[in-house]
Amino acid sequence: MSSGYIWAIIGLMAVANFLVRFPPIAVVSRLRLPAPLMRWLGFVPAAVMGALVAGEVLRPGGEYLITPRSPYVLAAIPTALVYVKTRSFLGATLAGMVFFVAFRALLG
Amino acid sequence: MPVGMAFGVLATTIGFTATQAVLCSATALAGAGQFIALNLMKSGADVLAVVTATTVVNLRYVLFGATLSPYLAGMSLPRQALLAFTLTDETFAVNVNDRRQGLSTGASMAGVGAVAWSGWVAGTAAGALAAAWIGDPTRWGVDFAMPAMFIALLIALAEDRRHVSVAALAAALAIGLPALVPLGIVVPASWVIVIASMGAATIGAVVFR
Repeated sequence: MSSGYIWAIIGLMAVANFLVRFPPIAVVSRLRLPAPLMRWLGFVPAAVMGALVAGEVLRPGGEYLITPRSPYVLAAIPTALVYVKTRSFLGATLAGMVFFVAFRALLG
Repeated sequence: MPVGMAFGVLATTIGFTATQAVLCSATALAGAGQFIALNLMKSGADVLAVVTATTVVNLRYVLFGATLSPYLAGMSLPRQALLAFTLTDETFAVNVNDRRQGLSTGASMAGVGAVAWSGWVAGTAAGALAAAWIGDPTRWGVDFAMPAMFIALLIALAEDRRHVSVAALAAALAIGLPALVPLGIVVPASWVIVIASMGAATIGAVVFR
């Protein structure tokens, strides 16, 4: 892999990621939004997370893996409980990794 | 932090120098997008394909930015630019949560952004430098670092029954859309999250008035 290729991707990713983040904030915060649009925006965060979690847990690596023997499915449940108990993002992430390694080892 | 470390290790294994891995994390701050970039680069995709895929995956930040913006009315452009730069899944969830509890201020949001950025960059540096010693990062369960974090974020953001319903609907769409391929309906993988979440939020906004 050439160094120029890597640098080009780093540079363009930096620009692209700023462009998806900044204009919506700069423009929308200067407008008065109609109520239905505000209501829609209120549902966006939960919807995005729901879609992300489902994809990561039930289609890890882009392949369906929907079985009770999936370490992704099994680890998801105690991870959720740890977050509910502790309200710590870092704690839940680390606990999730431990549960995942344990279930993967158990299921061979 | 652990996700940042995973990125550092994986990036060095496909040929990034430690400096490149750290700079990539520091400037893109793209989380899942960065992992997708690594995967595509490994398979030899061209520059445009890599950048497009990461950008589409991160289109959710357009929605996040628009959602946060009513809180940021009256803030100067440079400060908004700084917050936009540090906008990630984590900082978004934390800020929305703080806001609901009435704790959020411009300063607290800047603090949240700074902490998240430092953790991500420091994690990448640690991972890149320790890559040889860590070996195969999947041994340590990093495959589940991102899902675990998303699970915590989901619980933090699903405040009441309406939000839980919308999240469940988005989950069903995200799982269902790729299954439509045999019917000739092909939704590119990088668009699934954006389409599923916009669809679910739209249905939610219509149903729950």
